[in-house]
Amino acid sequence: MSDASPPLPPPARKRSPAAAARSRTGFAFVSPAMLVMALLVVYPLAYGIYISLFRTNLLNRWDFVGLTFFVQSLSDPGFLRSLFITALYAILVVGGHLIVGVALAVVLATQIRMRLLFRAILILPWLFPEVVVALIFRWIFDPIFGLLNHLLRSVGLISTQVAWLDDPTWAFVAVVGAAIWKGYPLVMLLALAGLQSIPRDRYEAAALDGAGRFGQFRYVSLPGLAPILGVAVILEFVWWFKHFTIVWLMTKGGPVDATNVVSIDIYRTAFQSFDFGRASAMAVIVLFICIAFAIAYRRMVPDEQA
Amino acid sequence: MSKPSAAIGGAHPLFYPLLLVACAIVLLPVFWMLSTALKDETELFRDPLLLWPEKPTLAAFRSVFEDYPFAAYIRNSLVVVVCATAISLTFSTLAGYGLSRFRFGGRGAFLAFLLLSQMFPSVMLIIPYFKILKSAGLLDSRLGLIVTYVSFTIPFCTWMMYGYFRSIPVELDEAAAIDGCGSVRTFFTVILPLALPGMVATAVYAFITGWNEYLFALILTNSEEQKTLPVGIGQLIGQYRIEWNELMAASIYSTIPLMVFFLFLQRYLISSLTAGAVKS
Repeated sequence: MSDASPPLPPPARKRSPAAAARSRTGFAFVSPAMLVMALLVVYPLAYGIYISLFRTNLLNRWDFVGLTFFVQSLSDPGFLRSLFITALYAILVVGGHLIVGVALAVVLATQIRMRLLFRAILILPWLFPEVVVALIFRWIFDPIFGLLNHLLRSVGLISTQVAWLDDPTWAFVAVVGAAIWKGYPLVMLLALAGLQSIPRDRYEAAALDGAGRFGQFRYVSLPGLAPILGVAVILEFVWWFKHFTIVWLMTKGGPVDATNVVSIDIYRTAFQSFDFGRASAMAVIVLFICIAFAIAYRRMVPDEQA
Repeated sequence: MSKPSAAIGGAHPLFYPLLLVACAIVLLPVFWMLSTALKDETELFRDPLLLWPEKPTLAAFRSVFEDYPFAAYIRNSLVVVVCATAISLTFSTLAGYGLSRFRFGGRGAFLAFLLLSQMFPSVMLIIPYFKILKSAGLLDSRLGLIVTYVSFTIPFCTWMMYGYFRSIPVELDEAAAIDGCGSVRTFFTVILPLALPGMVATAVYAFITGWNEYLFALILTNSEEQKTLPVGIGQLIGQYRIEWNELMAASIYSTIPLMVFFLFLQRYLISSLTAGAVKS
C-alpha cells in the first residue's frame, strides 16, 4: 500500500524507445535543480557529518576522534537537558498552534459576519518577521516600561514590576507564547482550507443522526482534518525543534539555561567555544531526531501526496 | 473544488467574543509597536506609561537611517533575497515540471529528498558553510549569502512548483504534442504561461523566507556593509541603551514588504499554500 508507485498519467511501458525518450526529457528538466541541490545541500551536509568526526578549529587543527563527540554529547547532561527543553518547547508551541489554529478555523468557517476582516487580522502575525516578533515581545515584557506590567498593574493583578524574562519559568512561558502568537496562522489557514473541503452532506448526515454542533465537530470536522493536521503537526514539530531566532533574541537561552534550546546550544558550541566538531556531532544528532519524524511523516502521508 | 467563501453552518453567538479576544491578542502587540515607533525619547520612558504618544512623531523613522547603516541593510537584504529567489525559482520551475510530467530513474528518491530537506537543521549546514565560504573567500559577502539562501529555498520551491504543475491538466500537454510541439516548446509556450500564478506565489514564499532569515546572515556576515536587515535590527537590542522607538520603526520597515505582498497576492498565496495540503 505504501509502496504504490507515484501517480503519473503515462503508464510506464518497459523500455520502449518512446518511454526512454520521455524519461530522458524528464531528467533533463530536473537535473539542473538536482545539480544545484547536490552542490549546495548534499555536499555541505556530508561535509558537516565529516566535521563531526574531528576535533577541529576548521583551520589548521584536524584531529580525528571518530564517534567520540557523539558518545560525549549523548552522555552530557547539559546537552540532554537542552534536548529535553527543545522537545518541550516544540510540543507546547505546536500544541498551541493546533488548538488556537483549529479553534479559529472552525469559527471562521461558519457564516460569521465580517469573516474576511477577521481572517485578515488573524493572519497578521504570520506576516511579521521572526526577528520583529521577538523584539516586540521583549519590549512588551520589559520590567519597567513594558506594556504587560503596565496593564497587569492597572487592573491590580500585580503590584510590583515583574522581570518576566529574568525568571526561568516565565521566560520559558514567554518564548513559547511568542512562538504560538507568531505561528498559529499557518495551521489556521490549513485547517480552514481543510474544513471547507469537507462535503456539506456529511454534516447534514451527522445532523440527521442527531449530532449537535460539538458532535459534528467531533465526528465530521476532526476526521476530515486529520490528514492535513497530521502532516502539519510533524512538519511544525521539526521546524520548531530546530528553532533559533525568537528564543535567541528574547532570552539568549537564559536565564541560566531555562530556554537553552538545542539550536542555541549548538550555535554557542560552534561559534563561541569554536568547538566545531562537537557542535557538528550535536547537529547530526538533531538531524537524526528530525529524521525519526520524517519517517513518521512518510508513514502518515499516503504516497498520493508525498 | 471548494469556493473560498464557502461557509459551514451558522455562527454560534459565543463565536463573536472569542474572535474579538483573539483579534485583541493579535492587535495589541501591533498597536504597541506602532505607538512605540511614533514616540520621542522623553515619551518613550514616561512613567506612567503612555499608551499612545501625545505628540506622535516620525523622527524615529528618519533617525534609523542617520544613526545606523540602515540603507545598507535594506539594500543587502534586497540584493541577496531577490537574487536567491530568482535562482531558486528558475531551477525549481524546470524541476517541478519535470517531476509532474515525466517518469525517470531517481524521481521517487528526489521527491523524498525534498521532504527530507525540511529536517535538516540549519545550524548543521551553517558550520560546513562557514568553512566552505571561508575557503572560497566568500565569507562576509552578499554572494556567499545568496548561495546559502538558494540552498534552503530551492527544495521547498521545487515542492511547491511540483504541486502547482500537477494541478494543470496533462491533457493540455497532450493536445500540444498532437499539434506537433516538442516537450520544450510545450513547456515554454503552453504550460509556463498557465503556471505563472504558481510561480508568483512560490517566488513570494521564497522572498518571505529569505527576507526573514536571521541565523545564516548572523554567522556568515560580520561587517556593517554586508549585514542584512534582520541582523541589523537584531543587533540594535545588544546595545547599552536600547532605543525602542528606533527599533520598532526599523521593525515596521522590515514588515512592510511582507504586508504589501500579502495585500496584493492574498488569494494566490493562500490557495497555493493549501493546494498541496488539501487534495481529495
